Amino acid sequence: MSTIASNPSRRFARFGAERWHAAPGPFKVGAVILATHVLFAIVGFFWTPYGFAEMGAGLPLSGASFQHPMGLDQIGRDVFSRFMHGAHIVLLLAFAGTILGMVAGTTLGLLSGYVGGWFDEIAQRIVEAMISIPFLALALVMIIAAGPALAGEPVLIVLVVGLVYAPRIARIARAAAMEIATREYVAVAELRGEGTWSIVFREILPNAANVLLVEFSLRLSYAPILIGALGFLGFGIRPPTPEWGLMISENRNLLIASPVTVFGPGLGLASLVIGFNLFTDGLSRMLGQRPVAGA
Amino acid sequence: MSVFRLLASRILFSALTLLLVSILIFLILEALPGDVATRILGRDATAKALEVLRGQLHLDQSAPIRYFRWLSDFVRGDLGVSIATGRPIADVLAPRIVNTLLLSLFAFAIYLVLALVPAIIQATNRGKVVDHVISVITLILLSLPDFLLATILLFVFAVALPILPALATISEASTWQETLRAMVLPAVTLAIMMAVYAIRVLRDSLIEVLHSDYVRLAELKGLRPRTVLFRHALPNAIVPALNVTALNLGFLIGGVVIVERVFSYPGFGTLLIDALQLRDVPLIKATVMISAAVYVVANLVADVLAVLLQPRLRTSR
Repeated sequence: MSTIASNPSRRFARFGAERWHAAPGPFKVGAVILATHVLFAIVGFFWTPYGFAEMGAGLPLSGASFQHPMGLDQIGRDVFSRFMHGAHIVLLLAFAGTILGMVAGTTLGLLSGYVGGWFDEIAQRIVEAMISIPFLALALVMIIAAGPALAGEPVLIVLVVGLVYAPRIARIARAAAMEIATREYVAVAELRGEGTWSIVFREILPNAANVLLVEFSLRLSYAPILIGALGFLGFGIRPPTPEWGLMISENRNLLIASPVTVFGPGLGLASLVIGFNLFTDGLSRMLGQRPVAGA
Repeated sequence: MSVFRLLASRILFSALTLLLVSILIFLILEALPGDVATRILGRDATAKALEVLRGQLHLDQSAPIRYFRWLSDFVRGDLGVSIATGRPIADVLAPRIVNTLLLSLFAFAIYLVLALVPAIIQATNRGKVVDHVISVITLILLSLPDFLLATILLFVFAVALPILPALATISEASTWQETLRAMVLPAVTLAIMMAVYAIRVLRDSLIEVLHSDYVRLAELKGLRPRTVLFRHALPNAIVPALNVTALNLGFLIGGVVIVERVFSYPGFGTLLIDALQLRDVPLIKATVMISAAVYVVANLVADVLAVLLQPRLRTSR
């Protein structure tokens, strides 16, 4: 009994190790960076040396020291503690927003590509119009339109990231669906009398998975930049939550007095995006997709 | 003939897209359920203030009527009046657009150098150390959020080695030397942001072209390597990069907003942020509309240029 149970799992483990060795270099480096970020975020969520909003943790603007490796801001908050606590915020917002965009964009794109006709024509014009509004402007306008009640709430940021991403993802999903819709197994499923939803989600979606996975990973790479930019401009998460973009914006004024305070959130944000980019690059190579650059 | 038909249909589609953009912006800003005036001023606003704002926004009329009035005024060049300043939006916008155009032109000139030189070095030294080093630098720069890159450049060149002004506040009183000096940091930031996207694409397409038959032929014919590269390979390799530039324009307009903000440059981007912070709805509508128009027109131009540079596309599309 035990041999039967352990055999497949050991084989799986070996298979996993082999795949890991065979994976492209960028993928491995990216995966390690991302794993480090996740670990750091988990630790920072449960424990930080000082409270993230605790004022007077030390002498304000006293620079880097052993107790305060990233210095203190002008009201004496320990920047390292804030940096640690902020790690999970960017990750969670980026994942939640991108997943929302994927679900909405994939559904619209696959349907539009498979159904075609008027539905596709109208959907594509709307998608095109939404993409034509520069994404930062679109995000900011949506935040303003949501009004003061929702301003600074994490839900709003997730919604905005999802809505900015959905049309871009829909365009990719549509192209994939149009190509897959010409395959024989789709025709067979149609002859079997399967409904549109069934064909889209059972036949087309699994076959578009590679394209969509790379797209998901790519969108995930840019989400921290978008979220950080919103925070930096003062339209993101409400202070004193230590979102990294907001921290960079706050501590930017201290560049002359204590430049080390910008170092942490800057490095965190940059390394997170580098990790995502490397991961995406490796993933697209492993799945046989062309690496994609830009929006 | 077919080129003209292609052009006409592209222009028509662009116009249709812009019409839809105007509907979207209007829907997002003014037609969401709930009172627009309360959403702008907040729940604590006095009844009087709300009444005044409703009058300014013509909220007594129905949404479709307000939309068509706005659209017909907009098309005829009447952009309306800014709520925050009470001045005509066209007067507020014009100098800002000129400033941003100046900055963009400056940035574009730097961009051409920053994109072409590394890509050519990489493509002609494929697989060597230089190629890898540039790839890594590009990846790092690609991953830097624009506000972070701007902050780093500001720290290095304005705080650590104070050779350039930290703030790009220019006015009509500044001499052109002052203006130029003030624009260096924001322009370089924008140029780097644009170049990192183009370098990758340009490198790959240049490598592809350099291995094509006609380039081999040109080499075998005994042309000088420089002639082969610049006269024969480069023009064809540029086409994919051209599309990337246009597609990334959405990013770039976002970049302008952030870069202008960091350096306090009085351009279009800071105006958009100011309008948003003051919840100046007519001004927001006008600025977002114009930025979308820039994006649509740039994509149209890129499409047309691609067709002109590569005659093959005239038939294949």
